[in-house]
Amino acid sequence: MKALPLVVAALVVATIVRLRRRRGGRGGAAARPSPFAALWEGSRTLRAHLGDRRLLGDMGLVAGREVRERLRGRVFRVVTAILFLVVAAAVVIPTVHTGAPRATRVGVVAGSPALDAELHAAATSAGTAARLVGEPGIGVARTALGEGRLDVVVEGSQRLVVLDPIAATDTSATARFVRVAASALGLARAFARAGLTPTQAVTVARARPLPIQSIHPGKHARTASETTALLGVVLVFIVLTQYLTWTLMGVMEEKASRVVEVLLATVRPVQLLAGKVVGIGVVALVQAVALVAFALVLAKAVGSNLVHGEAPVVVVATLVWLVLGYAFYSWVYAAAGSLAERQDQVQSLALPLSAPLIFGYIVSLTSVGSGSASLLVKVLAYLPPTAPFAMPTLVGFGDVVWWQFGASVAVTLLSTLVVAQLAARVYRTAVLRTGSRVRLRELRSSSPR
Amino acid sequence: MADLELDGLSCRFGAVVALDGLTFTVPSGHVVGFLGPNGAGKTTTMRAIFGLTDLDGGTVRWEGVPVGPATRRRFGYMPEERGLYPNMLVADQVEYLGRLHGLDGRSAARATRRWLERLEVADRARSKVESLSHGNQQRVQLAAALVHDPEVLVLDEPLAGLDPAGIDTIGEVLVEQARSGRCVLFSSHQLDLVENVCESVAIIDHGRLVASGSVDELATSGPRRLAVRVEGDRQGRWARDLPGVSLSEVDGGEVRLVLDAATDSDVVLDAARAAGHVTQFVFERRRLSEVFREAVGR
Repeated sequence: MKALPLVVAALVVATIVRLRRRRGGRGGAAARPSPFAALWEGSRTLRAHLGDRRLLGDMGLVAGREVRERLRGRVFRVVTAILFLVVAAAVVIPTVHTGAPRATRVGVVAGSPALDAELHAAATSAGTAARLVGEPGIGVARTALGEGRLDVVVEGSQRLVVLDPIAATDTSATARFVRVAASALGLARAFARAGLTPTQAVTVARARPLPIQSIHPGKHARTASETTALLGVVLVFIVLTQYLTWTLMGVMEEKASRVVEVLLATVRPVQLLAGKVVGIGVVALVQAVALVAFALVLAKAVGSNLVHGEAPVVVVATLVWLVLGYAFYSWVYAAAGSLAERQDQVQSLALPLSAPLIFGYIVSLTSVGSGSASLLVKVLAYLPPTAPFAMPTLVGFGDVVWWQFGASVAVTLLSTLVVAQLAARVYRTAVLRTGSRVRLRELRSSSPR
Repeated sequence: MADLELDGLSCRFGAVVALDGLTFTVPSGHVVGFLGPNGAGKTTTMRAIFGLTDLDGGTVRWEGVPVGPATRRRFGYMPEERGLYPNMLVADQVEYLGRLHGLDGRSAARATRRWLERLEVADRARSKVESLSHGNQQRVQLAAALVHDPEVLVLDEPLAGLDPAGIDTIGEVLVEQARSGRCVLFSSHQLDLVENVCESVAIIDHGRLVASGSVDELATSGPRRLAVRVEGDRQGRWARDLPGVSLSEVDGGEVRLVLDAATDSDVVLDAARAAGHVTQFVFERRRLSEVFREAVGR
């Protein structure tokens, strides 16, 4: 189970890469209209009525194009569908496991209050419930068993009757009940034959094993907020991986196709860069918010514990750190994209860039799995590259107070400002450069455009 | 009338001098051919007009004022390698670039339809760019450069790889733009096509201007050349002793003569008539390719 989030994340990342490759290799047929494209077309009229104002100037236009093209893309639709399925499974499956079992229907022939009590106690021990039905005789009870109206028949303290033999590997509620009831009723009959008084028989029957004490504390059951933090860390990793890859590839493709020359003939580099980062970021945020809203609604509907206790706080913290994580990394990935002209160059850049991301993800995930926040996670929660994973983890454990959370946010915001400035400088210098690599000296001397 | 002035442009990439004090003017109302051998600095010059190259010196002026970002919005640019998003729909792409040049949504959509129809690619408006042929991509690229009705049009190799129909269409559009008062500057290695489309040319080599002027001026500049046929004297003996005249070639009865600046062509005509019946007496123009080779020395 611990490896499940890793496997899910790996599958989604592999799907993104695979779809991107397929898209790159496809001969261009005329585009088919998609639901997202239809939505966009429908919004044209509304925008026209609003006077077509350029709210954010050129940067807004660039961001708008990114949003349109990403929503229209097949990769986005397929990955979104997969993520919704994964979220649905993560919310619903645990409730299926913990749902109340159906009561075992027990036909009782020649019953008594004492026998009824024994049968209810046996059902509780077997982790199920028993619905007792009085039967006038064994013949009638067998008929009811054969017709499926009963699961088991108890004939006084004589025997238990079932339809099919109970296999040793059968773990159904009926099988468990039958084993426990047979043992308990047999024991009661043995006590009676041994001549124990009812009080003595009860004392023996209630015998409990001696307690076992361990020196090291045991692992506590995962709380709702920890489970939410686990899902949040996985969500942040998947969304960041997907959208940062888009940023990297998008910048590289603009450079490789030389469309950047046409764009920079009318738009400043920083506007183009910011538009791309903001546009892709908006799509990422919309997708993440939709996933979280879907998860919360579904959790409420199926009675999942994801909406109880501190879990909503963890959800909000996860979304905050998703935005902050994207804001921090997107500039770095965009600058890296401006250094590449080909797919193989992108791949060689992507590996070192994703190292801190993967490190933060794995450490945080391991911490949630172990049930306690390690010192390493507590340190990583204040470092911008790893805070998007470590801080929601600490929130899930309740190991952080508001000012610590705020301090980490402030550190990341300040770092993002610095990183954005450096990235803009790299982008400005490198995005129009082909053939030769940009040197550090050139970055220092590059003039702003 | 407004002119685009390139004044003393200098640019160096490490040890390579890309532009070396390049100066010339693109007058409005003219189609100017921008010629030069590979590596002469044509693309660097065009990129400099749009601020895509950091210049070491010199100024680009429009209407007498140094060109800045706001002015460049009124320019249209078509780079040599196709500057289009391969996965984007044709109409969306042209409209988007129109909006980046300052058009509102409705105007951009209207202009997109108009230019796609004019350039005969309206039927591919909802196709992805990557699905178009090279020639159609070129037309879309030109539509993107024209969608905002630019005052200056700068095109890097717009005719490369086009079929004759494409060349005719794009050539017509460039001439139309110039006739409506725009500055049109385009580079090409197809000198015959340039000669047909352009009023004037600027030829550069090693980042310097080596020749410029109207096509007529350049074709008729230098020593005058005459092609003469005289019945009864297929070897041109009549011209051998004429002062100020040198016989450059005799080809099937046609005698080619080069006249000194002071030599009167009427004197030559009289000498030819005296030798026999004159069936041909024509001043020859230099082809643009000859002008180009002379200018760049290769």
